[in-house]
Amino acid sequence: MSYEVTIEPLGETIEVEEEQTILDAALRAGIWLPHACCHGLCATCKVQVTDGEVELGDASPFALMDFERDEGKCLACCATPMSDLVIEADIDEDPDAEVHPVEDYRGTVVSIESVTPTVKRVILELDRDIAFQAGQYINLQLPKIDKSRAFSLANPPHDARRIELQIRHVPGGEATTYIHQTLAEGDVVDVAGPYGRFFVRTSDPGATLFLAGGTGLSSPKSMILDLLEKGDGRNITLIYGARNRSELYDRAFFEALAAEHANLRYVPALSEPDADDAWEGEIGFVHDVAKRLFDNDFRGHKAYLCGPPVMIDACITALIQGRLFERDIHMEKFLSAADAAQDSQRSPLFKSI
Amino acid sequence: MAAKKMNLREKYTRMTRDLAWDFSYQRDEDVYKQMTMEGIKIEDWDKWEDPFRLTMDAYWKYQGEKERKLYAIIDAFAQNNGHLNVTDARYVNALKLFLTGVSPLEYMAHRGFAMVGRQFPGVGAQVACQMQAVDELRHVQTQVHTISQYNKYFNGFQEFRHQHDRVWYLSVPKSFFDDAVSAGPFEFLTAISFSFEYVLTNLLFMPFMSGAAYNGDMATVTFGFSAQSDEARHMTLGLEVIKFILEQHPDNLPIVQKWIDKWFWRGYRLLTLVAMMMDYMLPKRVMSWREAWEMYFEQNGGALFEDLARYGIRKPKYWEQSVVEKDVISHAAWGTFYNYAHAAPFHTWTPNDEEMEWLSAKYPDTFDKYFRPRYEHWAEQEKKGERFYNPSLPMLCTTCQIPMVFPELDDLALTCYRSSEYEGDTYHFCSDGCKDIFDNEPEKYVQSWLPVHQIYQGNCGGATVEDVVKWYHMEDGVDNREYLHSPDRRNWDKWTKKATEEEVPPKTAVG
Repeated sequence: MSYEVTIEPLGETIEVEEEQTILDAALRAGIWLPHACCHGLCATCKVQVTDGEVELGDASPFALMDFERDEGKCLACCATPMSDLVIEADIDEDPDAEVHPVEDYRGTVVSIESVTPTVKRVILELDRDIAFQAGQYINLQLPKIDKSRAFSLANPPHDARRIELQIRHVPGGEATTYIHQTLAEGDVVDVAGPYGRFFVRTSDPGATLFLAGGTGLSSPKSMILDLLEKGDGRNITLIYGARNRSELYDRAFFEALAAEHANLRYVPALSEPDADDAWEGEIGFVHDVAKRLFDNDFRGHKAYLCGPPVMIDACITALIQGRLFERDIHMEKFLSAADAAQDSQRSPLFKSI
Repeated sequence: MAAKKMNLREKYTRMTRDLAWDFSYQRDEDVYKQMTMEGIKIEDWDKWEDPFRLTMDAYWKYQGEKERKLYAIIDAFAQNNGHLNVTDARYVNALKLFLTGVSPLEYMAHRGFAMVGRQFPGVGAQVACQMQAVDELRHVQTQVHTISQYNKYFNGFQEFRHQHDRVWYLSVPKSFFDDAVSAGPFEFLTAISFSFEYVLTNLLFMPFMSGAAYNGDMATVTFGFSAQSDEARHMTLGLEVIKFILEQHPDNLPIVQKWIDKWFWRGYRLLTLVAMMMDYMLPKRVMSWREAWEMYFEQNGGALFEDLARYGIRKPKYWEQSVVEKDVISHAAWGTFYNYAHAAPFHTWTPNDEEMEWLSAKYPDTFDKYFRPRYEHWAEQEKKGERFYNPSLPMLCTTCQIPMVFPELDDLALTCYRSSEYEGDTYHFCSDGCKDIFDNEPEKYVQSWLPVHQIYQGNCGGATVEDVVKWYHMEDGVDNREYLHSPDRRNWDKWTKKATEEEVPPKTAVG
């Protein structure tokens, strides 16, 4: 048994299991709610219930006051739902966030193409249009595979029927092995979405910097195409990192796009080019190339990071040392099951990065 | 159509930030005179992110209810003779240490936040400091009121305010806070909000509160809960302060790093008293100091400093030393208090056999080797009616004011001594950390009020221990000395109808 909990002012709805706390479910769904002690003492996670019933759990009488209980407040870290809920949390509404309801779709494989030795581009034709914001992802449910897997949408939102996924083969990974070895044109898969809060903050006047690695190119591709289609004239830089030339994909596509749009700069970078790559472009990790290109000064930008955890981590440090801080850094971490298990203990210094 | 309901952020903005105003007939630099003295550069106060959004009207409502609940519980505690539910009367000495050592710091924190809140041009920072100033005043009151229940039945509580400004070991917490409030406003926040409230507070509050819970002291647990609901705000303020200063200007980094180095070390040395309380003063132990340091500093602190590394901040200087010392400081401190039990307003004792076993299991590398023999020797002396009291006065560290009891890192049997020359005088320190702090600001620390120096200079009531103890407002043989021979213990045995195991000799003379 589970309940639907809608979190205002975001307008996001999450599933909360019976006996599961609202905070736990929100954090697992990728929604940050303020929290600290996590056991009902400090009141940092206090939220207002505007509709529905909750069990207050072990909230300390000094953290959740009687008058607050009467007003319908609860502590998200120990409150569990007893019905579907609407809660209001002390989090900031983002003026650029669009809210699109999650729906289920049927997708037919139109094409599967190897773009590098380890990455396939999968095009799915949906049974109807999907509304989403550039940067979001879908969950793909494959036949006979237990849980769904998340993949970012690489197509811009106006291509609402045909979606593009870029999928790296994770050695030993059940789902990606199936996609790389078994999935064929004409197959039908279940798609649910859109999910995620990764999107371009267009209301901010700053220049836009995309730092992407591996299949982290998919979201930036959708976001950049969307910006350009809407005639956004701000400066856009995409630094895209791959190990060597054979792992670098969509290069011709982005070079052509940059030639067409004066405000787009495309910088492919290889971290370990092969001798026969005859590579004359940037060499190094994405964050090092970014430091060089911007002379270690990122002020005045909005940065969007997309890729594996080590790359994200190195980029955050490079950006902060180049004086771009948390409020201007947005990211989508690509976690495989193995990465997630390694996620180390974090301090509460940062909220969203 | 009804107006859209304001969300929490809008309500906070209307009720707080929008209430500020700009000065039209005074210059900002005349109003906020301390803003540049420390070299910290702030370019845009609007970038201050409020670490919590609480309006002043809501604040009063919350605190009012907390007070009502706390005092209802204290009343019930008093009516039910709650003091008889503690594990044994030795525990009450941990409360004496808290009331004499910690509660006056809450009052100093109240003053400190009121002072620095006045100095900041940003309204977000002003409001956060103002609320914390009121919180701290509430904390000292609730602590005094709670602990005063014990004052009806046990000795040693009654002169805590007088003693805080005089007694030798109380100069350790007192000088810590005096150092902070006499610094500039940004250093004060780095010292108290960040280094103390954020990095080290778990190590102060947690051991006392869980110690109280383990030892049946529900009154103290209640003021602990009541304070902890404020503490979360104080901790987030500490984090915001550091982020804000570091993000404002690259020139701020080396200044902040120096403060973090200094205040980590100052705070860590102060926690020596807590280490001793955890390992020796709780009849029922929660965890060892060593375990607490590993969990709260090495692990949690490690994660924090990994995140701070993104700003270029490194771990505080000498943190590695605290990791080596975790095997030693609680024992060294209790040994010192055992030596000078005639000059402190609480009792000390040697650990019993079971406690010795616990200590030896928790400190396998150090306890049996360095400390057990001392306690066994002292226990024997005591049995012979020759309870040891050290008749001399200890040499103090000029910075932390703790006696020289800390070891050299490569030989834990060797006491560490450091010194510096300044204007023809020699100053002594317990460690490289304390020496560095002095060397950075010698003109500040040469003014230290060092209790032992003051006694020798004749400023503490006289030349004999009896004179000084009297000047401390301690009743000799009642408030101080060995627990076994104390009226506290005799009363406790009477109230709990315990047969006295051995004949208790009358109070022992000063050695």
